[in-house]
Amino acid sequence: MSQPLIDLVNISKSFDGELILDDLNLSVKENSFVTLLGPSGCGKSTTLRIIGGFTMPDQGKVIFNGEDITRMPPNKRQLNTVFQKYALFTHMTIAENIAFGLKIKGKSKDYINDKIKYALKLVNLDGYENRSVELLSGGQQQRIAIARAIVNEPKLLLLDEPLGALDLKLRQDMQYELIRLKNELGITFVYVTHDQEEALTMSDTIVVMNQGYIQQMGTPEQIYNEPENAFVADFIGESNIVPGIMLHDELVEIFGAKFACVDKGFGNNTPVDVVIRPEDIDLVEPEKGTLEGVVTHLIFKGVHYEMEVTTPDGFEWLVHSTDMFPVGKKVGIHVDPFDIQIMNKPASEDEEAVGVNE
Amino acid sequence: MNKLKRFFQDFYLVLVLIFLYAPIAVMMVLSFNSSKSRSQWGGFTTQWYREMFESPVIMEALYNTLIIAFLSALIATILGTAAAIGISSMKKLPRTIFMGINNIPMLNSDIVTGISLMLMFVAFGVSLGFKTILFAHITFNVPYVMTSVLPKLKQTSKYTYEAAMDLGAGPIEAFFKVVFPDILPGVLSGFLMAFTMSLDDFIITHFTKGAGINTLSTLIYSEVRRGIKPSMYALSTVIFVTVLALLLITNFAPSKAQMEAKAAAAAASGKKPNNWGPKLYKAVLVATSFLIVCGISYTTYRHFDNSNSDELYVYNWGEYIDESVIEQFEEETGIKVTYDMFETNEEMYPIIEAGAVQYDVVCPSDYMIQKMRENDLLMELNLENIPNLEYIDQTYLEKSQSFDPQNKYSVPYTWGTVGIIYNTKRLEELGIEPPTKWSDLWDPRYKGEILMQDSVRDAFMVALKMQGHSLNSTDMTELEDAKNLLLDQKPLVQAYVVDQVRDKMLNGEAAVGVIYSGELLYLQEEAELLELDYELKYVIPEEGSNVWIDAWVIPYNAQNKENAEKWIDFLCRPEIALKNFEYITYATPNIGAFEMLDEETQNNKSVFPDDELLESCEVYQYLGTEADDMYSALWKEIKAQ
Repeated sequence: MSQPLIDLVNISKSFDGELILDDLNLSVKENSFVTLLGPSGCGKSTTLRIIGGFTMPDQGKVIFNGEDITRMPPNKRQLNTVFQKYALFTHMTIAENIAFGLKIKGKSKDYINDKIKYALKLVNLDGYENRSVELLSGGQQQRIAIARAIVNEPKLLLLDEPLGALDLKLRQDMQYELIRLKNELGITFVYVTHDQEEALTMSDTIVVMNQGYIQQMGTPEQIYNEPENAFVADFIGESNIVPGIMLHDELVEIFGAKFACVDKGFGNNTPVDVVIRPEDIDLVEPEKGTLEGVVTHLIFKGVHYEMEVTTPDGFEWLVHSTDMFPVGKKVGIHVDPFDIQIMNKPASEDEEAVGVNE
Repeated sequence: MNKLKRFFQDFYLVLVLIFLYAPIAVMMVLSFNSSKSRSQWGGFTTQWYREMFESPVIMEALYNTLIIAFLSALIATILGTAAAIGISSMKKLPRTIFMGINNIPMLNSDIVTGISLMLMFVAFGVSLGFKTILFAHITFNVPYVMTSVLPKLKQTSKYTYEAAMDLGAGPIEAFFKVVFPDILPGVLSGFLMAFTMSLDDFIITHFTKGAGINTLSTLIYSEVRRGIKPSMYALSTVIFVTVLALLLITNFAPSKAQMEAKAAAAAASGKKPNNWGPKLYKAVLVATSFLIVCGISYTTYRHFDNSNSDELYVYNWGEYIDESVIEQFEEETGIKVTYDMFETNEEMYPIIEAGAVQYDVVCPSDYMIQKMRENDLLMELNLENIPNLEYIDQTYLEKSQSFDPQNKYSVPYTWGTVGIIYNTKRLEELGIEPPTKWSDLWDPRYKGEILMQDSVRDAFMVALKMQGHSLNSTDMTELEDAKNLLLDQKPLVQAYVVDQVRDKMLNGEAAVGVIYSGELLYLQEEAELLELDYELKYVIPEEGSNVWIDAWVIPYNAQNKENAEKWIDFLCRPEIALKNFEYITYATPNIGAFEMLDEETQNNKSVFPDDELLESCEVYQYLGTEADDMYSALWKEIKAQ
């Protein structure tokens, strides 16, 4: 069942001499929900446009269902796209928008009408057939854009930051809608976003991209809990990334203090980067901690307190805790071994960005 | 403060209305005036509108105007839309450059565009005509279409095009189904804008048009000299109303937002959306297009109704022939006449000289015929082909010898004198005897009551003749004297004018004026029609005056010389000459026609003065550039003080 539906092989693309994608390889399995995640300019949208056929790669191949479709124009591809700004046809009614693709394919009137009804039901907008597009709210427009795409029964649905223009509440609702749709329809989604929370909520696979390279690919849990480099760690959630020395397996020294960890195989006395999530730091009495510091900042965030603890070496630790420690108080820092994530230090910028495709 | 602001708003509005619309309103009112006068109301009539629709010349011009406007707008819309799409997908820098290049022709003065286009056509040997006007109009219309389409393209998300492709549409299908409907309002208003600009254009058309083709604007212009015919007011009114309607349609097209708001209101009240706004707009658009198409088809029909192979290109003054004469000539000879008009001798000369347009027969004035002859621009006439020449009075042939010594090149068409017109009642009020000599115009009692001709030769003629000199004098002392005389008279003069003499006289604004005798019959008729309580009388001053002759000549590059001679012969036929006399009201040199006139007209000494008086009158001669400059310099001194 888990055939690769789409394969990007050695894709490179530059605009105006600026390299956007460099030798990118990506494989998307059928029926998966893959999210391309990264800051703007990382190449995620370009990757999507290459799959959709709107941008031609300079090098490399796009394989769809075993067939090379690199040079195939978008209108011949068996996939559909939901665009960032919906791109609805404003001079048409909602029904006409949805029917657009079907009419071009020459489907019968009855078939088209059934499909419109079905699609509107699916996106919870029954009875909107004859409305004008511009009277809809952003969320409704987005749902019409999705309906317009899915009536064509694509094997693959590309979504380019589809929720970017919606407000927070609507965005969260639409996230659930999308997951529901995905499950009901059983088609493959490739989703582009810069919002890490969106990616973590919806995807079964996240591809973190930066500067045209894939930084890490994995399940949301893997990406969050075991970032493979400082970029991923920094981009996904908040992190304390500190330099450390791997003394030997399962023991790392940070700012002169020894922390027990669970990582192995980095060799002895190796310089490494250590990632510790703010919520994984326990603040204890000074003498009970591994490191000692002073609370220098305190903000109440609702669910928890956000604090900054400065250790004698000058590093400011970000700490999330439900317990409050006032500014100026001396505290001890304690981290459980399995909450410590060890990463190799990048030898250079390039290595930091090397793709990690298995 | 607010009140003051309101006041200024209203004040501004009133100013705008007065300065912009009052003249148009006046013209519109005059188009319904049964009197030909520009200052007297003679009752309501639609006669001028009827005349307009019955005139083949006007209908031909209307056809040209509409077909050129339609075709140029259509082609410019296609080109401009394509160009706009191209430009909108460019990167920023080239786009800015291209937009700049696009905007320059719009800002460029029309005259430069017109002249440069004409030069290009002539340089590449393209003969001026319909094609060249069309090409020129397309040229200046494209930028307007582009500026109208580009903003619409900018509003259109590029993603809709991609979305259409994504849904299976090919590039062309995607464009026409998705992008085009989005930019359609821009394309339509671009089309209407181009149509209007083309309809409006005069200068560029003037320079790029060839023989026998006129648009409404160039036609109106060529009619200006002898005073614009009221049917031209009617025509201008029709043009104004048409352009106004087009502009209203373009500008008041209900915006999308309004339409949506209406639909929303309808949806909210649970009704099926009832978009009468856009429907009305569409209906108006359809109606306009329908009218345009009808107009074009009708005029096309009129246009091709009388096509013929044998041709004649005539170049005459505006308003200088009874149009039915042209038709009669065509019917009788089977020759298709292409009839063009000029306003001044000076405008006609370079066109003949350049040879860009080949006319077969032209009707210039005396001194200009001399100039053309001296510059080898004329062909000798074959008098055997003009047997009706016998009807031309020997007197005028003799007078013609001052510019055409052997009567080899020209056949007189009309003639007249320059004299003094006076208002009998006004003179009585002032207690002055009717004038008989030029020197009477120096009588201080006339202060502010004198109208002089605003032209060098005519003004100097008065002073030279008064002194007993020749009006063709090039003697510096004589001219200096004349200048000083005119300067002496200047404080008494109400105004130096050209055309307005007759309007001012009809209005009773002045007591005396220097005027061409040709205007007289018309003025006297009009005065009778308006039942004025004073008479307008004309006198040729004792010292002698100018007698002018307009005569037919054949230019050196005529292509249909025999047809031209047939034309001249035809016009010398007494009953034809009579017809033209009745229409133009300028004295005819044709004895046959003169004999057919009623006694009253024959005895009208203002139009047909006694021979002995005519003896003292001279014809203007071309004095050469040096003398011309001298006259101009002296005239400038007079006008400047």
